[in-house]
Amino acid sequence: MNEAEAILMGLRIWAMIGAAVAAVFLTIGMDRIDEDAQGAYVFRPLLIPGVMVIWPLVLWRWYVWETGREAWGRRYDPPRKAHFAVGMILPAGIALIILTGLALRQTWPADVAPVQLLPAQEVSQ
Amino acid sequence: MSDKNSPFFVGYLSAPRGLRTFLLVACVIFVSGLGGLGLALGVAQDDPGNGAFRFDYGRQTVTGVVEMTPYPLVRVTEGSERIAVGQTLMLSGQGKNSVISRTAPLEGQLAKVSGVILDRGDLEMMQLRGGRNGISGVEGEAPAMQTEQLGRWRLAGEICDGKCLAGAMRPGRGIAHKACANLCLLGDIPPVFVTTQPVEGHEFLLITGPDGTALPESAYHHVAQFISLEGEVERRGDLLVLRMDPDTVELIR
Repeated sequence: MNEAEAILMGLRIWAMIGAAVAAVFLTIGMDRIDEDAQGAYVFRPLLIPGVMVIWPLVLWRWYVWETGREAWGRRYDPPRKAHFAVGMILPAGIALIILTGLALRQTWPADVAPVQLLPAQEVSQ
Repeated sequence: MSDKNSPFFVGYLSAPRGLRTFLLVACVIFVSGLGGLGLALGVAQDDPGNGAFRFDYGRQTVTGVVEMTPYPLVRVTEGSERIAVGQTLMLSGQGKNSVISRTAPLEGQLAKVSGVILDRGDLEMMQLRGGRNGISGVEGEAPAMQTEQLGRWRLAGEICDGKCLAGAMRPGRGIAHKACANLCLLGDIPPVFVTTQPVEGHEFLLITGPDGTALPESAYHHVAQFISLEGEVERRGDLLVLRMDPDTVELIR
């Protein structure tokens, strides 16, 4: 198995676990953690792709809620505190990525001509 | 306490007089800046080429001799209004799937193939229909097909997957397309080498490993990079096949 196949298999395993988590969370967990969602089903399929991507976070948040350690009033403190730094880092990072990509980009070697090294009869088979 | 006389913008009210000039300037800079950035990034991109699915041709059905390089080809012996006798078509399945399992039992035999054409200059591929509608054996003896050896060459260019390059994706080459290309190659879609300058009149060559093997794993790392390599070139109908030597691959700086 080469690196590309390993990456692909890893992504497939991640997605399969995510699909299983989505199936359980959206049918059982959601009703337990959010009483406003009880009886509402149409929107739940829309959440499947997102749960498949961030299923570890979903499981962790669900575990925190089930164990009674949920402090909803403080849930958004860390994101709020990080707003300023993230707001600066994000555009700078995007600009850095674009500029690095442009700087490292290869130039199409249009001036390199094909060269016949050996004629047909001398090619070893 | 904040100054109660300072103008304060609220979205659902009209803009305060003291902020209107700032708001106008900020909007103009923001919109024109985003437009300019988008234009600059767009201009910096390479031309994606003219490859495309030729749905306008309609479904094409031709008969020919199946060859495995090991990637499947059909050498056309009975063409259609769009595909001439003597042309060589690379074959693929739907999406990123190969048709090797369907073509291998028919190697060297006459077969009828049917599907949609992908076309980019002298590069042509047929995406087969499913099952026996896509490929089936034909009664009769297959004519002998010539393979002309063209010697050993050193070429510069880029390894791509033949399907995206032929028109399934735009762009179907380049570093931004590398992950897609590698997924296609993992699915055994025929890989293609794009040369910097034409070889025997062709700028696209089907590329394989040495001695009739599939593209070596080491080549996957160089997909979408500009490289030079050596290999034996042969002509099969109107398609050139490059049997690469993996030990000769060099990155062009």
